[in-house]
Amino acid sequence: MADLPSDLVVAGVAPAADEAAVAKAGGWWRGRLGVTVPAVMVAFIFGLCFIWPIIGPVPPPTGGNILNASLPAFSPGHFLGTDPVGNDEWSRLLYGGRASLEIALAVQAIGLILGGLIGAVAGYLGGWRDATIMRVLDVFIAFPGLVLAVAIAQGLGPSELHTIWALSFFSVPASARISRAATLQLREQTFMTAARLSGTSFPRMVLGHIAPNILPQLLTYALLGMGIIMILEGALSFVGLGVPPPAPSWGNMIAQGQSTISADPRYVFLPSAALFITVVSFNLLGEGLRARWVTQ
Amino acid sequence: MSECLLEVSDLRVDFRYDGQVVRAVDQLTYSVRRGQTVALIGESGSGKTVSSRAIMGLLPPTAKVTGSIRFDDIEMVGLSEKAMRTQRGRGVAMVFQDPTRSLNPTMRIGAQIREAIQTHEKASRGTAHDRALELLELVRLPAAQERLQQYPHQLSGGMRQRVMIAIALAASPKLLIADEATTALDVTTQAQIMELLRDLQQRLGMALIMISHDLGLAASFADEVVVMYAGRAVERAPTQMLFAHVRMPYTRALLDAIPRLDNASHAPLAAVPGQPPNLALREPGCPFTPRCPSSTDKCRSHAPAFEEHEPSHLWACWHPCEDGVRL
Amino acid sequence: MSSTSAPLSAPLAARAGRAGRLAGSPTLSFIVRRLLAAIPVLFGVTFLSFVVMNSLPGDAAQELLGAQATPAEIHQLEIKLGLDKPFLTRYWDWLHQAVIGHLGHSLSSGQSVASILGSDLPVTFELVGFAFVISLALAVPLALVSARKPNGVADRLSMMFSMAGLSIAPYVLALVLVYVFAVKLNVLPAIGWVPPGQSVSQNIRYLILPAVSIGLGLLCFYTRLLRADLLGQMQGEDYVVTARAKGVRPWRVLTRHALRNSLFGLITVVALNLGTLLGFTVVIEDIFGIPGIGHELLQAIDNRDIPVIEGIVFVFAVIVVLLNLAADVLYSVLDPRIRYGRPTE
Repeated sequence: MADLPSDLVVAGVAPAADEAAVAKAGGWWRGRLGVTVPAVMVAFIFGLCFIWPIIGPVPPPTGGNILNASLPAFSPGHFLGTDPVGNDEWSRLLYGGRASLEIALAVQAIGLILGGLIGAVAGYLGGWRDATIMRVLDVFIAFPGLVLAVAIAQGLGPSELHTIWALSFFSVPASARISRAATLQLREQTFMTAARLSGTSFPRMVLGHIAPNILPQLLTYALLGMGIIMILEGALSFVGLGVPPPAPSWGNMIAQGQSTISADPRYVFLPSAALFITVVSFNLLGEGLRARWVTQ
Repeated sequence: MSECLLEVSDLRVDFRYDGQVVRAVDQLTYSVRRGQTVALIGESGSGKTVSSRAIMGLLPPTAKVTGSIRFDDIEMVGLSEKAMRTQRGRGVAMVFQDPTRSLNPTMRIGAQIREAIQTHEKASRGTAHDRALELLELVRLPAAQERLQQYPHQLSGGMRQRVMIAIALAASPKLLIADEATTALDVTTQAQIMELLRDLQQRLGMALIMISHDLGLAASFADEVVVMYAGRAVERAPTQMLFAHVRMPYTRALLDAIPRLDNASHAPLAAVPGQPPNLALREPGCPFTPRCPSSTDKCRSHAPAFEEHEPSHLWACWHPCEDGVRL
Repeated sequence: MSSTSAPLSAPLAARAGRAGRLAGSPTLSFIVRRLLAAIPVLFGVTFLSFVVMNSLPGDAAQELLGAQATPAEIHQLEIKLGLDKPFLTRYWDWLHQAVIGHLGHSLSSGQSVASILGSDLPVTFELVGFAFVISLALAVPLALVSARKPNGVADRLSMMFSMAGLSIAPYVLALVLVYVFAVKLNVLPAIGWVPPGQSVSQNIRYLILPAVSIGLGLLCFYTRLLRADLLGQMQGEDYVVTARAKGVRPWRVLTRHALRNSLFGLITVVALNLGTLLGFTVVIEDIFGIPGIGHELLQAIDNRDIPVIEGIVFVFAVIVVLLNLAADVLYSVLDPRIRYGRPTE
């Protein structure tokens, strides 16, 4: 399976297969452009959410004065206005972004490392061990993901950390499937046989030989998955889980904004727009990288 | 109505690839008369397949074709796609190398043959079905009725290739191009298919271009042989003449590489040493130079012209082989 | 189905291999095998959900009685509900009841879980089914138009549109739609549900916004998937060259050869995607106040209503597994390479 393992399908990410052939024909998103532009956007968003609040004039996202409640955009000192309890909306947007991004990064990192290892081990070992691991993963994949996440987050109580936990149940099996598929492809190559024959130890095989080779592929899919995870985090917030207010995350901002949508839609639209732009950037970046890598 | 059914003149095919231009076919010239069999012989990458696809306009959009291909008095280079489609199947048809992949695995044989028929004729399903039966009988496929209902994977390789031939013949083409049609088959089946092709050709008055890397096959079935190397024609002559008076060292090497029964046992197999050149790098001089036992400095710097040095016998070489001398 | 690198064809290679060994009736033994393989997964899923529900902090009895309850009262209720028995016993008890269809009773309302499911499932099915059918119906022509001229105007537009659609969170879309159509334009209702039994036209009115919220993402996803597979075939498969060599028109090659193969593979994809889809349905039902399974689940989780949660999770999981199985079976029935087994010489 050269292009798309079934889990990305599970994750709802569609392939851009044969972009290589299309790109070779002189098509759109010529190579570099397809990666550079989204990469810059992603970097910009990260910079805005993580670095700007530290160095720039951004008021704190919580603890606002109720007297300043619901100020409109372009009010002095609050260029996006304030929320119904007086917190600066621009600040909430930035800090909310930071929370959402942190969660997504953590979830994907856990998925990458843990899932990647599990998949690589399963793919490399083969046989009954592989089959067992795959069955277990199948159970997680068959289980309606969001339901599981909701249950876990509910049981553990809403918090950023618990949200990360809950969403990892989703990213680890997905990543494991990809890693396993990539390892299976790799296993048949000559250098692997050579290493095996020269008596390389098992951990060294996995970490030293398999890992570096499947990493580009895993990273690309991790990037593609960032968008889904951020959207899922929002979904959790909707059902009262995820990051607990008053600390903002884009997800809980959207959920909270729902109640005032007729009166003042900006509380929903601002974080929604931010989420949308971010997800698009990650998706474009992931696809751009994948098109490049498929060309290789 | 000219004598020549197909006239290829100075054909050039370039591919745009990743900013580079690869010339897959260079200044190819040959012709095919009605009812004649011409063999295009060469290694992979010699341009034989690309040039034949150019005749039918089946190249990908990255290909740029210049020169002239006159088929039945129609200029094929630059022909509109619509006009080209009329020719495909009806004027020129092709049989491909791998019948497994060349047939749609989820479509019944009958449907695939009927498609070939109904594309060029207004025939009802029933008429097309009968015609498909006739075609299968023409290619000597037993149990034709059953076969029509079956799927490709239910047939053996040789049978599938017969089906491919039947499909190619559906609209009664004047020229059939067999692109490595027997390469994927075992030797016995290969012989059967070639015999079938020859028989069909004589019965239907069809011209045949057989593309192969197998000079031995050409010897048995072709009227004229064109040897290609690195996208160029390097030798061309009627079959008897070619084998009697081989001139190009490359052709000579190909001939010598054919295992012969009268060689001493355990004598090493003569293979053509070296690799075909990288078509992206266009060097001046003859492309065969690095592998040629007769090459000199002149060969490296000046490409010899492909000319008729003896009646009906063309080649491009500064140091052609003498008669009777083995390299 | 395309046999090179197109993703949709991947399961086929494995199946074709297996099928090669089967004689006689490949489909039947295939079905049986897949069914058997699905059973451990079902066990695993139900067990997992039971574990998750029961090892989380928080007590059902406590929830029901409220904060003022004394430990003695809580303990009594626990015994009454059977919550004091050992874990595995409870799981086993529950499981073999569930398999027959006795899913117990809601701890909060006393209503039988089976009847709750009975009234909620059709609602969710209608919603999801509607979204699915519409998105698939639109995705096919969109993908065909895109694949017809890759990098053409239509293609680029549809790719941009589908990228945007994929990047919108379903709940965001839901809120935007509500704002535009319900609040501002006031043409469609924001919340609520009318069953088709009562009024078909009203039913559809209430269905549109939620179905679009779910359906848009699906549409974009299927379009991209189909387009990629169609292009993969058109550019990579030999039978496409054969078809062209016959003089077949490009549109016909696309529809008669490539599309039918792609649609086969799509079946498997749809099944795999289902889990995520059901997850989002939960949120959408919540936003639109639709009395379906998702809504029920959220309430049950809030109330720690374990039998209901278990029932819903069980049914969800069974549905997902069965649908996967159905996809496999359908695939094997439709693909002639499996259906007709080995070549006859």
